Amino acid sequence: MKYQIEVNQLTKAFANKPALNGVSFQIKRGEIFGFLGPSGSGKTTMVKILTAQLLHTSGSVKVFGNDVRNLQNPEQMKRIGILTDNSGLYDRLTIYDNLELFCKLYNVDVKRIEEVLEEVNLLQDKKTAVKQLSKGMKQRVTLARAILHKPELLFLDEPTSALDPTNKQQIHTVLRKLNEAGTTIFLSTHDMQEAEDLCNQVAFLHNGTIVELDTPQSLRVKHGDSTINIRLKNGTSVTVGLDEAGSNAIRDYMNNGELLTIHSNEPTLGDIFIKLTGRALQ
Amino acid sequence: MTFSMRRIRAIITKDWKDLLKNSYILVSILLPLGFAAMLSRMSTDDSSMLSMPINLALVMTGAFVQASMMAEEKERSTLRVLLLSPASTLEIMIGKSVLSAIITLIVVIGSILISGINIPELFYFSIMILLSLIIFISLGTIIGLISRTVMETSIVGLPILIIFTYGSMLSSMFNSPIIAESISYLPTENFSSALVSLQGSGGFAEIKWNLLNMLLWAIGSVILAKFIYGKRRLDK
Ligand SMILES: Nc1ncnc2c1ncn2[C@@H]1O[C@H](COP(=O)(O)OP(=O)(O)O)[C@@H](O)[C@H]1O
Ligand SMILES: [Mg+2]
Repeated sequence: MKYQIEVNQLTKAFANKPALNGVSFQIKRGEIFGFLGPSGSGKTTMVKILTAQLLHTSGSVKVFGNDVRNLQNPEQMKRIGILTDNSGLYDRLTIYDNLELFCKLYNVDVKRIEEVLEEVNLLQDKKTAVKQLSKGMKQRVTLARAILHKPELLFLDEPTSALDPTNKQQIHTVLRKLNEAGTTIFLSTHDMQEAEDLCNQVAFLHNGTIVELDTPQSLRVKHGDSTINIRLKNGTSVTVGLDEAGSNAIRDYMNNGELLTIHSNEPTLGDIFIKLTGRALQ
Repeated sequence: MTFSMRRIRAIITKDWKDLLKNSYILVSILLPLGFAAMLSRMSTDDSSMLSMPINLALVMTGAFVQASMMAEEKERSTLRVLLLSPASTLEIMIGKSVLSAIITLIVVIGSILISGINIPELFYFSIMILLSLIIFISLGTIIGLISRTVMETSIVGLPILIIFTYGSMLSSMFNSPIIAESISYLPTENFSSALVSLQGSGGFAEIKWNLLNMLLWAIGSVILAKFIYGKRRLDK
Protein backbone atom coordinates (compact mmCIF):
# COMPACT_ATOMS: atom_id res chain seq x y z
CA MET A 1 0.00 0.00 0.00
CA LYS A 2 1.67 3.10 -1.25
CA TYR A 3 -0.77 5.78 -0.14
CA GLN A 4 -2.46 6.43 3.19
CA ILE A 5 -5.13 8.47 1.42
CA GLU A 6 -6.21 8.38 -2.22
CA VAL A 7 -8.94 10.65 -3.47
CA ASN A 8 -10.09 10.45 -7.06
CA GLN A 9 -12.53 12.79 -8.81
CA LEU A 10 -14.39 13.38 -5.59
CA THR A 11 -17.60 15.39 -5.68
CA LYS A 12 -19.77 16.36 -2.74
CA ALA A 13 -22.98 18.30 -3.17
CA PHE A 14 -25.32 19.62 -0.48
CA ALA A 15 -28.85 19.84 -1.88
CA ASN A 16 -27.46 19.99 -5.45
CA LYS A 17 -25.05 22.78 -4.53
CA PRO A 18 -21.49 21.47 -5.00
CA ALA A 19 -19.15 21.95 -2.03
CA LEU A 20 -16.33 19.86 -3.53
CA ASN A 21 -15.98 19.30 -7.25
CA GLY A 22 -13.59 16.90 -8.99
CA VAL A 23 -11.02 16.77 -6.19
CA SER A 24 -8.10 14.34 -6.58
CA PHE A 25 -4.94 13.88 -4.49
CA GLN A 26 -2.78 11.24 -2.83
CA ILE A 27 -1.01 11.33 0.50
CA LYS A 28 2.01 9.12 1.19
CA ARG A 29 2.85 7.67 4.57
CA GLY A 30 4.82 10.11 6.69
CA GLU A 31 3.70 13.18 4.79
CA ILE A 32 2.14 16.38 6.13
CA PHE A 33 -0.44 17.34 3.55
CA GLY A 34 -1.79 20.89 3.68
CA PHE A 35 -5.32 21.53 2.47
CA LEU A 36 -5.28 25.28 2.06
CA GLY A 37 -8.33 27.41 1.39
CA PRO A 38 -10.38 30.34 2.62
CA SER A 39 -13.47 29.97 4.78
CA GLY A 40 -16.27 28.15 2.97
CA SER A 41 -13.98 26.54 0.39
CA GLY A 42 -14.78 22.99 1.56
CA LYS A 43 -12.01 22.10 4.04
CA THR A 44 -14.28 20.81 6.81
CA THR A 45 -16.39 18.94 4.27
CA MET A 46 -13.20 17.19 3.03
CA VAL A 47 -12.14 16.22 6.56
CA LYS A 48 -15.62 14.86 7.27
CA ILE A 49 -15.60 12.78 4.11
CA LEU A 50 -12.11 11.40 4.84
CA THR A 51 -13.17 10.40 8.36
CA ALA A 52 -16.45 8.76 7.26
CA GLN A 53 -18.68 11.35 8.91
CA LEU A 54 -20.15 12.36 5.57
CA LEU A 55 -20.70 10.30 2.46
CA HIS A 56 -19.42 11.77 -0.81
CA THR A 57 -21.69 12.19 -3.83
CA SER A 58 -19.39 10.64 -6.44
CA GLY A 59 -15.77 9.68 -7.06
CA SER A 60 -13.61 7.38 -4.94
CA VAL A 61 -12.08 7.90 -1.49
CA LYS A 62 -9.64 5.37 -0.07
CA VAL A 63 -8.07 5.46 3.37
CA PHE A 64 -5.38 2.87 4.23
CA GLY A 65 -5.98 1.40 0.77
CA ASN A 66 -9.65 0.60 1.41
CA ASP A 67 -12.91 2.39 0.73
CA VAL A 68 -13.46 5.08 3.36
CA ARG A 69 -16.64 3.33 4.56
CA ASN A 70 -14.41 0.64 6.12
CA LEU A 71 -13.42 3.24 8.72
CA GLN A 72 -16.74 2.79 10.45
CA ASN A 73 -15.37 -0.31 12.11
CA PRO A 74 -13.82 0.38 15.57
CA GLU A 75 -10.56 -1.40 14.72
CA GLN A 76 -10.01 0.91 11.77
CA MET A 77 -11.19 3.95 13.71
CA LYS A 78 -8.34 3.36 16.19
CA ARG A 79 -5.83 3.98 13.42
CA ILE A 80 -6.93 7.57 12.91
CA GLY A 81 -6.98 10.64 15.16
CA ILE A 82 -9.21 13.64 14.53
CA LEU A 83 -9.13 17.25 15.68
CA THR A 84 -12.46 18.67 14.51
CA ASP A 85 -13.36 22.32 13.91
CA ASN A 86 -14.96 22.57 17.37
CA SER A 87 -13.28 21.22 20.46
CA GLY A 88 -15.95 18.76 21.62
CA LEU A 89 -14.61 18.77 25.18
CA TYR A 90 -16.70 18.29 28.32
CA ASP A 91 -16.55 21.80 29.84
CA ARG A 92 -17.34 20.94 33.44
CA LEU A 93 -14.85 18.08 33.61
CA THR A 94 -11.13 18.47 34.21
CA ILE A 95 -8.53 17.94 31.49
CA TYR A 96 -7.66 14.63 33.11
CA ASP A 97 -11.26 13.40 33.26
CA ASN A 98 -11.81 14.32 29.62
CA LEU A 99 -8.78 12.31 28.55
CA GLU A 100 -9.56 9.44 30.91
CA LEU A 101 -12.86 8.82 29.10
CA PHE A 102 -11.06 8.47 25.79
CA CYS A 103 -8.34 6.26 27.26
CA LYS A 104 -11.08 3.84 28.23
CA LEU A 105 -12.92 4.12 24.91
CA TYR A 106 -9.68 3.42 23.01
CA ASN A 107 -8.43 0.87 25.55
CA VAL A 108 -5.30 2.89 26.29
CA ASP A 109 -3.54 2.77 29.67
CA VAL A 110 -4.37 5.90 31.71
CA LYS A 111 -0.60 6.38 32.23
CA ARG A 112 -0.58 7.71 28.70
CA ILE A 113 -2.49 10.82 29.89
CA GLU A 114 0.53 12.25 31.72
CA GLU A 115 2.76 11.49 28.77
CA VAL A 116 0.55 13.23 26.26
CA LEU A 117 -0.12 16.21 28.56
CA GLU A 118 3.63 16.61 28.92
CA GLU A 119 3.90 16.74 25.13
CA VAL A 120 1.32 19.52 24.80
CA ASN A 121 2.74 21.29 27.86
CA LEU A 122 -0.36 21.02 30.05
CA LEU A 123 0.74 18.62 32.75
CA GLN A 124 0.49 21.23 35.54
CA ASP A 125 -3.12 21.98 34.53
CA LYS A 126 -4.47 18.45 34.46
CA LYS A 127 -6.84 19.06 37.39
CA THR A 128 -8.28 22.24 35.86
CA ALA A 129 -11.84 22.22 34.52
CA VAL A 130 -11.91 22.72 30.76
CA LYS A 131 -14.23 25.74 31.01
CA GLN A 132 -11.48 27.62 32.86
CA LEU A 133 -8.94 27.17 30.08
CA SER A 134 -7.94 29.69 27.44
CA LYS A 135 -8.76 28.96 23.80
CA GLY A 136 -5.18 27.95 23.11
CA MET A 137 -5.06 25.56 26.06
CA LYS A 138 -8.37 24.00 25.03
CA GLN A 139 -7.01 23.45 21.56
CA ARG A 140 -3.95 21.73 23.03
CA VAL A 141 -6.24 19.45 25.08
CA THR A 142 -8.11 18.62 21.89
CA LEU A 143 -4.82 17.77 20.22
CA ALA A 144 -3.81 15.64 23.21
CA ARG A 145 -7.09 13.75 22.89
CA ALA A 146 -6.57 13.24 19.14
CA ILE A 147 -3.12 11.65 19.66
CA LEU A 148 -3.88 9.77 22.89
CA HIS A 149 -4.08 6.42 21.10
CA LYS A 150 -1.05 7.10 18.84
CA PRO A 151 -2.90 7.12 15.51
CA GLU A 152 -1.04 6.44 12.26
CA LEU A 153 -3.05 9.07 10.45
CA LEU A 154 -4.03 12.38 12.00
CA PHE A 155 -6.70 14.75 10.67
CA LEU A 156 -6.53 18.36 11.81
CA ASP A 157 -9.21 20.86 10.81
CA GLU A 158 -7.75 24.36 11.24
CA PRO A 159 -5.93 23.41 14.45
CA THR A 160 -4.44 26.84 15.13
CA SER A 161 -7.20 29.07 13.79
CA ALA A 162 -7.50 32.23 15.94
CA LEU A 163 -4.70 31.19 18.31
CA ASP A 164 -1.90 33.45 19.54
CA PRO A 165 1.63 32.86 18.17
CA THR A 166 2.84 31.08 21.33
CA ASN A 167 0.08 28.49 21.29
CA LYS A 168 0.47 28.13 17.54
CA GLN A 169 4.19 27.45 17.96
CA GLN A 170 3.54 24.88 20.69
CA ILE A 171 1.09 23.03 18.46
CA HIS A 172 3.48 23.13 15.51
CA THR A 173 6.25 21.69 17.66
CA VAL A 174 4.03 18.77 18.67
CA LEU A 175 3.00 18.15 15.06
CA ARG A 176 6.63 18.12 13.86
CA LYS A 177 7.56 15.62 16.55
CA LEU A 178 4.62 13.39 15.68
CA ASN A 179 5.53 13.54 12.03
CA GLU A 180 9.16 12.68 12.75
CA ALA A 181 7.88 9.65 14.63
CA GLY A 182 6.05 8.57 11.46
CA THR A 183 2.53 9.99 11.77
CA THR A 184 0.91 11.03 8.50
CA ILE A 185 -0.96 14.32 8.88
CA PHE A 186 -3.83 15.84 6.91
CA LEU A 187 -3.89 19.51 7.86
CA SER A 188 -6.64 21.87 6.76
CA THR A 189 -5.78 25.50 7.25
CA HIS A 190 -6.27 29.00 5.94
CA ASP A 191 -2.91 30.02 7.41
CA MET A 192 -0.41 30.03 4.54
CA GLN A 193 2.54 30.50 6.87
CA GLU A 194 1.49 27.36 8.74
CA ALA A 195 1.31 25.41 5.49
CA GLU A 196 4.70 26.76 4.44
CA ASP A 197 6.29 25.85 7.78
CA LEU A 198 4.87 22.36 8.15
CA CYS A 199 3.73 20.79 4.91
CA ASN A 200 5.50 18.56 2.41
CA GLN A 201 2.67 19.05 -0.05
CA VAL A 202 -0.04 21.68 -0.29
CA ALA A 203 -3.29 21.76 -2.20
CA PHE A 204 -4.93 25.13 -2.88
CA LEU A 205 -8.67 24.86 -2.64
CA HIS A 206 -10.90 27.42 -4.28
CA ASN A 207 -14.68 27.04 -4.55
CA GLY A 208 -14.44 23.30 -4.00
CA THR A 209 -11.76 22.68 -6.63
CA ILE A 210 -8.02 22.13 -6.23
CA VAL A 211 -6.38 24.87 -8.30
CA GLU A 212 -2.77 23.94 -7.47
CA LEU A 213 -1.02 21.03 -5.79
CA ASP A 214 2.71 20.70 -5.20
CA THR A 215 5.48 21.07 -2.64
CA PRO A 216 5.78 24.61 -1.19
CA GLN A 217 9.29 24.76 -2.68
CA SER A 218 8.21 24.02 -6.26
CA LEU A 219 5.24 26.33 -5.96
CA ARG A 220 7.45 29.23 -5.01
CA VAL A 221 9.85 28.54 -7.85
CA LYS A 222 7.04 27.99 -10.34
CA HIS A 223 5.21 31.20 -9.44
CA GLY A 224 8.27 33.32 -8.72
CA ASP A 225 9.19 36.06 -11.17
CA SER A 226 12.90 35.13 -11.21
CA THR A 227 14.27 38.41 -9.92
CA ILE A 228 16.59 39.39 -7.09
CA ASN A 229 16.12 42.33 -4.78
CA ILE A 230 19.21 44.22 -3.67
CA ARG A 231 19.44 46.87 -0.97
CA LEU A 232 22.38 49.21 -1.09
CA LYS A 233 24.12 50.93 1.78
CA ASN A 234 22.91 54.31 0.53
CA GLY A 235 19.32 53.18 1.15
CA THR A 236 18.16 52.57 -2.42
CA SER A 237 16.91 49.18 -3.57
CA VAL A 238 17.41 47.63 -6.99
CA THR A 239 15.75 44.67 -8.69
CA VAL A 240 17.80 42.60 -11.13
CA GLY A 241 17.09 39.50 -13.20
CA LEU A 242 18.71 36.03 -12.90
CA ASP A 243 20.74 36.69 -16.03
CA GLU A 244 24.22 37.92 -16.97
CA ALA A 245 23.25 41.58 -16.55
CA GLY A 246 21.97 40.79 -13.07
CA SER A 247 25.09 38.91 -12.11
CA ASN A 248 27.30 41.73 -13.39
CA ALA A 249 25.32 44.28 -11.40
CA ILE A 250 25.59 42.25 -8.21
CA ARG A 251 29.33 41.72 -8.71
CA ASP A 252 29.86 45.45 -9.22
CA TYR A 253 27.89 46.39 -6.09
CA MET A 254 29.88 43.86 -4.08
CA ASN A 255 33.23 44.95 -5.47
CA ASN A 256 32.43 48.58 -4.70
CA GLY A 257 31.33 47.72 -1.18
CA GLU A 258 27.88 49.19 -1.80
CA LEU A 259 25.83 46.03 -1.14
CA LEU A 260 23.82 45.77 2.08
CA THR A 261 21.35 42.85 1.58
CA ILE A 262 20.34 40.47 -1.21
CA HIS A 263 17.06 38.52 -1.50
CA SER A 264 15.49 36.39 -4.19
CA ASN A 265 11.92 37.46 -4.91
CA GLU A 266 10.13 34.23 -4.03
CA PRO A 267 6.42 34.69 -3.49
CA THR A 268 4.82 33.40 -0.29
CA LEU A 269 2.09 30.77 -0.56
CA GLY A 270 -0.34 33.56 0.28
CA ASP A 271 0.87 35.60 -2.73
CA ILE A 272 0.50 32.58 -4.98
CA PHE A 273 -2.99 31.90 -3.69
CA ILE A 274 -4.11 35.44 -4.48
CA LYS A 275 -2.48 35.23 -7.91
CA LEU A 276 -4.32 31.99 -8.72
CA THR A 277 -7.73 32.80 -7.28
CA GLY A 278 -7.87 36.57 -7.03
CA ARG A 279 -8.83 36.07 -3.43
CA ALA A 280 -7.02 36.33 -0.10
CA LEU A 281 -6.97 33.37 2.27
CA GLN A 282 -8.89 35.02 5.10
CA MET B 1 -21.87 -4.23 16.00
CA THR B 2 -19.39 -4.43 18.84
CA PHE B 3 -20.31 -4.40 22.49
CA SER B 4 -17.91 -3.50 25.26
CA MET B 5 -18.90 -3.13 28.91
CA ARG B 6 -15.67 -1.18 29.49
CA ARG B 7 -16.73 1.50 27.03
CA ILE B 8 -20.27 1.66 28.40
CA ARG B 9 -18.90 2.00 31.93
CA ALA B 10 -16.55 4.76 30.75
CA ILE B 11 -19.49 6.76 29.39
CA ILE B 12 -21.54 6.24 32.54
CA THR B 13 -18.60 7.30 34.76
CA LYS B 14 -18.09 10.43 32.68
CA ASP B 15 -21.81 11.32 32.88
CA TRP B 16 -21.82 10.77 36.63
CA LYS B 17 -18.84 13.10 37.20
CA ASP B 18 -20.45 15.67 34.93
CA LEU B 19 -23.83 15.41 36.62
CA LEU B 20 -22.41 16.24 40.04
CA LYS B 21 -21.29 19.60 38.62
CA ASN B 22 -24.46 20.32 36.68
CA SER B 23 -26.88 22.41 38.73
CA TYR B 24 -29.62 22.33 36.07
CA ILE B 25 -29.82 18.56 36.33
CA LEU B 26 -29.56 18.54 40.10
CA VAL B 27 -32.64 20.80 40.21
CA SER B 28 -34.54 18.47 37.85
CA ILE B 29 -33.81 15.69 40.30
CA LEU B 30 -34.89 17.58 43.41
CA LEU B 31 -38.03 19.20 41.98
CA PRO B 32 -40.17 16.02 41.77
CA LEU B 33 -39.24 15.21 45.37
CA GLY B 34 -40.44 18.67 46.39
CA PHE B 35 -43.71 18.10 44.52
CA ALA B 36 -44.14 14.75 46.23
CA ALA B 37 -43.77 16.45 49.61
CA MET B 38 -46.32 19.09 48.62
CA LEU B 39 -48.86 16.63 47.22
CA SER B 40 -48.63 14.43 50.29
CA ARG B 41 -50.01 17.34 52.33
CA MET B 42 -53.04 17.83 50.10
CA SER B 43 -55.73 15.26 50.63
CA THR B 44 -57.52 14.30 47.45
CA ASP B 45 -59.82 11.57 46.26
CA ASP B 46 -58.95 11.98 42.61
CA SER B 47 -57.46 8.65 41.62
CA SER B 48 -55.19 10.12 38.97
CA MET B 49 -53.69 12.45 41.58
CA LEU B 50 -52.57 9.37 43.44
CA SER B 51 -49.86 8.50 40.95
CA MET B 52 -49.01 12.12 40.19
CA PRO B 53 -45.75 12.12 42.21
CA ILE B 54 -44.59 9.01 40.34
CA ASN B 55 -45.54 10.41 36.94
CA LEU B 56 -43.84 13.69 37.75
CA ALA B 57 -40.67 11.87 38.75
CA LEU B 58 -40.74 9.85 35.53
CA VAL B 59 -41.33 12.84 33.27
CA MET B 60 -39.21 15.47 35.01
CA THR B 61 -36.28 13.33 35.94
CA GLY B 62 -36.51 10.54 33.38
CA ALA B 63 -37.35 12.53 30.28
CA PHE B 64 -35.77 15.89 31.15
CA VAL B 65 -32.46 14.70 32.57
CA GLN B 66 -31.98 12.43 29.59
CA ALA B 67 -33.07 15.15 27.17
CA SER B 68 -30.71 17.76 28.54
CA MET B 69 -27.76 15.34 28.71
CA MET B 70 -28.41 14.31 25.11
CA ALA B 71 -28.95 17.87 23.86
CA GLU B 72 -25.78 19.03 25.57
CA GLU B 73 -23.70 16.29 23.96
CA LYS B 74 -25.05 17.46 20.63
CA GLU B 75 -24.78 21.18 21.31
CA ARG B 76 -21.16 20.88 22.44
CA SER B 77 -20.23 18.48 19.62
CA THR B 78 -19.05 15.92 22.15
CA LEU B 79 -21.46 13.38 20.65
CA ARG B 80 -19.57 13.72 17.38
CA VAL B 81 -16.30 12.97 19.15
CA LEU B 82 -17.83 9.92 20.85
CA LEU B 83 -19.08 8.67 17.49
CA LEU B 84 -15.59 9.10 16.04
CA SER B 85 -14.15 6.93 18.81
CA PRO B 86 -14.41 3.13 18.78
CA ALA B 87 -17.65 3.39 20.82
CA SER B 88 -20.60 2.09 18.82
CA THR B 89 -24.03 3.71 18.57
CA LEU B 90 -25.49 1.02 20.82
CA GLU B 91 -22.79 1.49 23.47
CA ILE B 92 -23.29 5.25 23.46
CA MET B 93 -27.09 4.92 23.68
CA ILE B 94 -26.91 2.43 26.55
CA GLY B 95 -24.20 4.37 28.36
CA LYS B 96 -26.20 7.55 28.16
CA SER B 97 -29.46 5.92 29.28
CA VAL B 98 -28.32 3.78 32.20
CA LEU B 99 -27.38 6.69 34.44
CA SER B 100 -30.66 8.56 33.78
CA ALA B 101 -32.57 5.36 34.44
CA ILE B 102 -30.85 4.75 37.77
CA ILE B 103 -31.34 8.34 38.90
CA THR B 104 -34.98 8.29 37.83
CA LEU B 105 -35.54 5.08 39.71
CA ILE B 106 -34.07 6.61 42.85
CA VAL B 107 -36.28 9.70 42.46
CA VAL B 108 -39.35 7.50 41.85
CA ILE B 109 -38.63 5.51 45.02
CA GLY B 110 -37.99 8.76 46.91
CA SER B 111 -41.28 10.22 45.67
CA ILE B 112 -43.17 7.10 46.74
CA LEU B 113 -41.64 7.21 50.21
CA ILE B 114 -42.25 10.94 50.64
CA SER B 115 -45.83 10.93 49.40
CA GLY B 116 -46.65 7.67 51.16
CA ILE B 117 -48.26 5.97 48.15
CA ASN B 118 -49.32 2.48 49.03
CA ILE B 119 -47.79 -0.15 46.69
CA PRO B 120 -49.86 -3.35 46.89
CA GLU B 121 -48.30 -5.64 44.23
CA LEU B 122 -44.55 -5.16 44.06
CA PHE B 123 -44.07 -7.56 41.13
CA TYR B 124 -46.54 -5.89 38.73
CA PHE B 125 -45.64 -2.48 40.03
CA SER B 126 -41.96 -3.09 39.20
CA ILE B 127 -42.89 -4.09 35.66
CA MET B 128 -44.94 -0.91 35.33
CA ILE B 129 -42.00 1.19 36.54
CA LEU B 130 -39.58 -0.60 34.23
CA LEU B 131 -41.81 0.00 31.21
CA SER B 132 -42.27 3.63 32.23
CA LEU B 133 -38.51 4.10 32.55
CA ILE B 134 -38.01 2.76 29.03
CA ILE B 135 -40.77 5.02 27.69
CA PHE B 136 -39.56 8.22 29.35
CA ILE B 137 -35.84 7.73 28.81
CA SER B 138 -36.62 7.14 25.12
CA LEU B 139 -38.87 10.21 25.00
CA GLY B 140 -36.09 12.16 26.70
CA THR B 141 -33.61 10.95 24.09
CA ILE B 142 -36.00 12.04 21.34
CA ILE B 143 -36.54 15.49 22.90
CA GLY B 144 -32.77 15.88 23.34
CA LEU B 145 -32.10 14.92 19.74
CA ILE B 146 -34.68 17.20 18.16
CA SER B 147 -33.69 20.19 20.32
CA ARG B 148 -30.72 22.15 19.07
CA THR B 149 -29.69 23.38 22.51
CA VAL B 150 -30.20 22.44 26.15
CA MET B 151 -32.49 25.47 26.54
CA GLU B 152 -34.68 24.21 23.74
CA THR B 153 -35.35 20.95 25.54
CA SER B 154 -37.52 22.83 28.03
CA ILE B 155 -39.57 24.35 25.22
CA VAL B 156 -39.89 21.11 23.26
CA GLY B 157 -40.43 19.10 26.42
CA LEU B 158 -42.99 21.29 28.16
CA PRO B 159 -46.03 20.20 26.10
CA ILE B 160 -45.04 16.60 26.72
CA LEU B 161 -44.74 17.24 30.44
CA ILE B 162 -48.20 18.83 30.55
CA ILE B 163 -49.95 16.23 28.42
CA PHE B 164 -48.40 13.24 30.14
CA THR B 165 -48.74 14.38 33.74
CA TYR B 166 -51.89 16.48 33.64
CA GLY B 167 -53.72 14.44 30.98
CA SER B 168 -56.72 13.61 33.12
CA MET B 169 -57.12 17.24 34.19
CA LEU B 170 -57.00 18.30 30.55
CA SER B 171 -59.68 15.81 29.58
CA SER B 172 -62.04 17.06 32.27
CA MET B 173 -61.24 20.63 31.26
CA PHE B 174 -62.12 20.24 27.59
CA ASN B 175 -65.07 17.96 28.10
CA SER B 176 -64.66 16.45 24.64
CA PRO B 177 -65.00 12.71 24.09
CA ILE B 178 -62.25 12.63 21.48
CA ILE B 179 -59.72 14.27 23.80
CA ALA B 180 -60.77 12.07 26.69
CA GLU B 181 -60.44 9.01 24.48
CA SER B 182 -56.97 10.01 23.23
CA ILE B 183 -55.77 10.80 26.71
CA SER B 184 -56.87 7.41 27.97
CA TYR B 185 -54.20 5.91 25.68
CA LEU B 186 -51.36 7.78 27.41
CA PRO B 187 -48.98 5.50 29.30
CA THR B 188 -49.25 7.73 32.36
CA GLU B 189 -53.06 7.30 32.40
CA ASN B 190 -52.65 3.55 32.08
CA PHE B 191 -50.09 3.61 34.85
CA SER B 192 -52.55 5.46 37.09
CA SER B 193 -55.49 3.18 36.41
CA ALA B 194 -53.32 0.08 36.85
CA LEU B 195 -52.11 1.41 40.17
CA VAL B 196 -55.70 2.08 41.26
CA SER B 197 -56.72 -1.45 40.22
CA LEU B 198 -53.81 -2.94 42.12
CA GLN B 199 -54.68 -0.92 45.19
CA GLY B 200 -58.27 -2.19 44.90
CA SER B 201 -56.67 -5.67 45.18
CA GLY B 202 -57.01 -6.35 41.47
CA GLY B 203 -54.64 -8.80 39.76
CA PHE B 204 -53.22 -9.37 36.32
CA ALA B 205 -56.67 -9.69 34.74
CA GLU B 206 -57.56 -6.14 35.77
CA ILE B 207 -54.35 -4.52 34.57
CA LYS B 208 -53.40 -6.57 31.52
CA TRP B 209 -54.65 -3.97 29.01
CA ASN B 210 -52.80 -1.25 30.87
CA LEU B 211 -49.62 -3.32 30.77
CA LEU B 212 -50.08 -3.99 27.07
CA ASN B 213 -50.57 -0.28 26.43
CA MET B 214 -47.35 0.54 28.26
CA LEU B 215 -45.45 -2.24 26.53
CA LEU B 216 -46.50 -0.88 23.14
CA TRP B 217 -45.48 2.63 24.18
CA ALA B 218 -42.10 1.29 25.32
CA ILE B 219 -41.45 -0.55 22.05
CA GLY B 220 -42.69 2.36 19.95
CA SER B 221 -40.62 4.98 21.75
CA VAL B 222 -37.41 2.92 21.58
CA ILE B 223 -37.90 2.44 17.84
CA LEU B 224 -38.66 6.12 17.33
CA ALA B 225 -35.62 7.16 19.41
CA LYS B 226 -33.38 4.86 17.39
CA PHE B 227 -34.79 6.22 14.13
CA ILE B 228 -34.34 9.86 15.14
CA TYR B 229 -30.87 9.12 16.49
CA GLY B 230 -29.88 7.84 13.08
CA LYS B 231 -31.11 11.05 11.50
CA ARG B 232 -30.13 13.72 14.00
CA ARG B 233 -27.01 12.59 15.83
CA LEU B 234 -24.61 14.50 13.58
CA ASP B 235 -26.51 17.78 13.48
CA LYS B 236 -24.66 20.90 14.55
N1 LIG C 1 -24.32 20.27 6.17
C1 LIG C 1 -24.28 21.17 5.16
N2 LIG C 1 -25.39 21.46 4.45
C2 LIG C 1 -25.36 22.35 3.44
N3 LIG C 1 -24.26 23.00 3.04
C3 LIG C 1 -23.11 22.77 3.70
C4 LIG C 1 -23.06 21.84 4.79
N4 LIG C 1 -21.79 21.80 5.25
C5 LIG C 1 -21.08 22.68 4.49
N5 LIG C 1 -21.87 23.26 3.55
C6 LIG C 1 -21.43 24.22 2.53
O1 LIG C 1 -20.31 23.70 1.86
C7 LIG C 1 -19.33 24.71 1.64
C8 LIG C 1 -18.00 24.33 2.25
O2 LIG C 1 -18.12 24.39 3.67
P1 LIG C 1 -16.95 23.92 4.64
O3 LIG C 1 -16.48 22.59 4.23
O4 LIG C 1 -17.45 24.06 6.04
O5 LIG C 1 -15.83 25.02 4.35
P2 LIG C 1 -14.55 25.42 5.22
O6 LIG C 1 -14.34 24.39 6.28
O7 LIG C 1 -13.43 25.46 4.23
O8 LIG C 1 -14.82 26.76 5.79
C9 LIG C 1 -19.91 26.00 2.19
O9 LIG C 1 -20.49 26.71 1.13
C10 LIG C 1 -20.95 25.53 3.17
O10 LIG C 1 -22.00 26.46 3.25
MG1 LIG D 1 -14.14 24.63 8.34
